[in-house]
Amino acid sequence: MPETPDEAALALEFNVLAKRAGLNIPEDRKAVLFEGFKDLRRMSALMRQPRSAADEPAPTFSILSVTRGL
Amino acid sequence: MADPELFELSIAEAGRKLRDGTVTSAALTEDALARIAAVDPKLNSFITVTSDRARADAAAADAAFAEGIDKGPMQGVPYALKDIYDTAGIRSTCHSKLRVDHVPAVDSVVETKFKAQGAVLLGKLATHEFALGGPSFDLPFPPARNPWNYAHIPGGSSSGSGAAVAAGLVRMAMGSDTGGSIRGPAAYCGTIGLKPTYGLVSRRGVFPLSTTLDHCGPLSWTVEDCAITLQTIAGYDALDPASVDIPIPNYLDGLDRGVEGLRIGLPRHFFAKAEDVSPEVIAAIDRAVATLTKLGADVEEITLPDYDLFNACGRIIMYAEAYAIHEQDFQTRPLDFGLLTYLRMTLGAFVTATDLHQAMRLRRELSHAVNLKFKTYDALITASALVPAPAFADLPRDAPPTMPVQTMPFNITGNPAMSIPTGFSSSGLPLSMQIVGRAFDEKTVLRIGAAFAGATGLSKRRPALVS
Repeated sequence: MPETPDEAALALEFNVLAKRAGLNIPEDRKAVLFEGFKDLRRMSALMRQPRSAADEPAPTFSILSVTRGL
Repeated sequence: MADPELFELSIAEAGRKLRDGTVTSAALTEDALARIAAVDPKLNSFITVTSDRARADAAAADAAFAEGIDKGPMQGVPYALKDIYDTAGIRSTCHSKLRVDHVPAVDSVVETKFKAQGAVLLGKLATHEFALGGPSFDLPFPPARNPWNYAHIPGGSSSGSGAAVAAGLVRMAMGSDTGGSIRGPAAYCGTIGLKPTYGLVSRRGVFPLSTTLDHCGPLSWTVEDCAITLQTIAGYDALDPASVDIPIPNYLDGLDRGVEGLRIGLPRHFFAKAEDVSPEVIAAIDRAVATLTKLGADVEEITLPDYDLFNACGRIIMYAEAYAIHEQDFQTRPLDFGLLTYLRMTLGAFVTATDLHQAMRLRRELSHAVNLKFKTYDALITASALVPAPAFADLPRDAPPTMPVQTMPFNITGNPAMSIPTGFSSSGLPLSMQIVGRAFDEKTVLRIGAAFAGATGLSKRRPALVS
């Protein structure tokens, strides 16, 4: 599991990702949103557990589900 | 106040009376409209009441009965839809400023099924904005309230559906469930709430929140009404990419078979070890286990992966998928979203592609772990909500509230899951549990629910509807 970044690094990451997403976050919403972002990072880290390359994601969609309505 | 007895008729009971001529659809409909007019100004469960449409539907149903035409068990029965279901010619707002004037040209598939049976649409129900952000006071419509105590929330996001059914304004209302939005309101309002198996009910024409987690399903006062509704709405839809083409069983057949011989797994660690769980919730589930055991079921404690893993997996997926749907509006008119929607949904912009892929890999592992249990057990039971419905006053208004419900695992796995009342707290608010089944085995879930509800008789107690 990667090391959890410090507060300043997380703030930088938050700002970069917001810019990358084209968001202009109002100043009075940044603090609450940043708390949510830190919780998201916690959940993201929690999901990182040992897996083999063979562990595929789910659901695995069938091509039939894409073409059957055509 | 309208006739105090008509609203208490279940769909099944009303159906029998409609067919033996002792009640008309017009009478059921006028009673419901009068009750909505009397109760809903404080409850706020309806966004739009479709009185003219309801009266026309009722007249058509009564005419059909008079001609000996019977299109199915919903004929002449009033129902309502969460306001994310498209209804042709009737506004479908998603409880949002962004769609406040949106009038769809085409019905959702679910709505077409009710129409085909000649059911009576009473209206469109309050939700959390786009089925995510709420309860909010900065939206075009007020938040629904809990009929057991108006100072408390009804849960979300199918908030109006739970409130309207519990208040007896309608026997059944459709909700949607992405992380618990049917089962949460059902738990807080003391109704039945079924999230069917992913792929069993078409989602076409229902505004998506998170496409790989979204499910459509009913909230009702009785398990039998839930089964009747599922019979009406289940079925393959080639134009819904998630729809599964399987035979639809008769959900009423065997509903009264009881639980003798069924093996039920209890992942007690999910809720008993959770932070802030109410002792009353645990005690009520322990009593439910004793009841099911007494009825002949074999209930055994089991272990599943940590609940936090399910929660993280589901939230990462939901945020990413929801944000992708609304990305353009977030870039061009973000402040038209309610504050709570904005604060929750924006998090999707921070989910990386790798995060999402890891979540989908974890999803497979968690689905495997849950479904492995169904090789041994016919069903699982666990908590729906960890506490009785919180009060509005106890929730922050400028930050997304943390809803203490444990429903997300079965959105991840897609298994059918039903919330059912287990009793009442000392404060008079409903308590609940979930019954979870094998994929597409709603019959067993409903069967256990019917046996349990029959043994407890909890549905006899209704909210007093006092401020």
